[in-house]
Amino acid sequence: MGSTKTMGKGKPSSKGGKSGGASSKKGGARSKPTGSAPEGISKRKQKSMALAKPGGAQKTKANLANPHKPKRRKYTEKELDIPALNSIIPAGIAKPKGQKKGKKFVDDPASMMAIMSVVNAEKDKNVESKIMRARQLEEIREAKRKEAEERSEEKKAKFEETKKGLKKKRKSRHSDPGRIEDVDDEVPEKTSKPKKKRVSFG
Amino acid sequence: MRPLTEPETKTLFEKLAAYCGKGIQDLITAGGTDDRHVFRVQGSRVYYVRESLANLATSVKRDNLLSLGTCLGKFTKTGKFRLHITALSIIAPHARYKIWVKANGEMPFLYGGNVLKAHVGRWSEDCPEHQGVIVLSMNDTYLGFGVSARSTAEARKLDPTGVVAFRQADIGEYLREEDTLFTT
Repeated sequence: MGSTKTMGKGKPSSKGGKSGGASSKKGGARSKPTGSAPEGISKRKQKSMALAKPGGAQKTKANLANPHKPKRRKYTEKELDIPALNSIIPAGIAKPKGQKKGKKFVDDPASMMAIMSVVNAEKDKNVESKIMRARQLEEIREAKRKEAEERSEEKKAKFEETKKGLKKKRKSRHSDPGRIEDVDDEVPEKTSKPKKKRVSFG
Repeated sequence: MRPLTEPETKTLFEKLAAYCGKGIQDLITAGGTDDRHVFRVQGSRVYYVRESLANLATSVKRDNLLSLGTCLGKFTKTGKFRLHITALSIIAPHARYKIWVKANGEMPFLYGGNVLKAHVGRWSEDCPEHQGVIVLSMNDTYLGFGVSARSTAEARKLDPTGVVAFRQADIGEYLREEDTLFTT
């Protein structure tokens, strides 16, 4: 019991030590070890008891058994190369540091000229391509039109020829009787027809 | 009132280039180095102003400043640029393609109609389709501007009632749009 009392009085802290010192003065016993450590408990036990208090860190048996075990190496985050969570920054939000905020105004003629030349180059390209395309289409149309004209002319010529041929035939029938005879010889049915017409009832 | 930003300048120049081509260069360098002309935005409207005047205008409160210089047009809420008829006097002298309208076609155009082939007196050669054109009367008065409906080669074959140019703006708007033309 007495030992527990002394424990309550004389804590292993520096304060306790001092108080212990005071009590020793009273008792009249002067010794260094009595001031720092309470009597009746070994140093080791005292330590373990102090750690057993609530809030105190408890050491495992194994650790206590082998205090000189080499510590495991602690890696920093950089060394481990762990991907950080939510680390993707949208392209629109990410801004390089040190850049000025706000709008960039264009007021000097040089930069305006630069913008103008870019715009003009684009426009010129467009216009040229449009004109080129229009010309190509025009050429194709022209070629097609010419072909169609040639074809129609050929047709006309053929038609005229046949017309002429027919006219000649007719003329030759009237003018050249000998020839008619020849024709008659060749095609007797045709010549027989007009003869039939001449036959009358009257 | 502020100068234009880079994308704004680009959209403005793209629109102007449809009508002026390389004539924009003259707009930028107009007035020489002493008193050049600049583009300024007030609200959504773009003005073409003498620089000295623009500098003076900085002393006027933004809300109180109604207009300055010549209004070229305005930026829509979608970021496109719309040319106003007030820009005609600035873009017309530098125009690349022109259409001259005969007397019988002047009134239909000034009332908001498109340009018909029957009304055309003469036109610039080698004009592609969908290209900005300035419309003039036969005595070289600027009447407005539009967009070519057909290329010159195609327009030649068009029937007289066919549309040659789509109207974009005409000076009749000064009367028709009197109420809204200068309001912000």
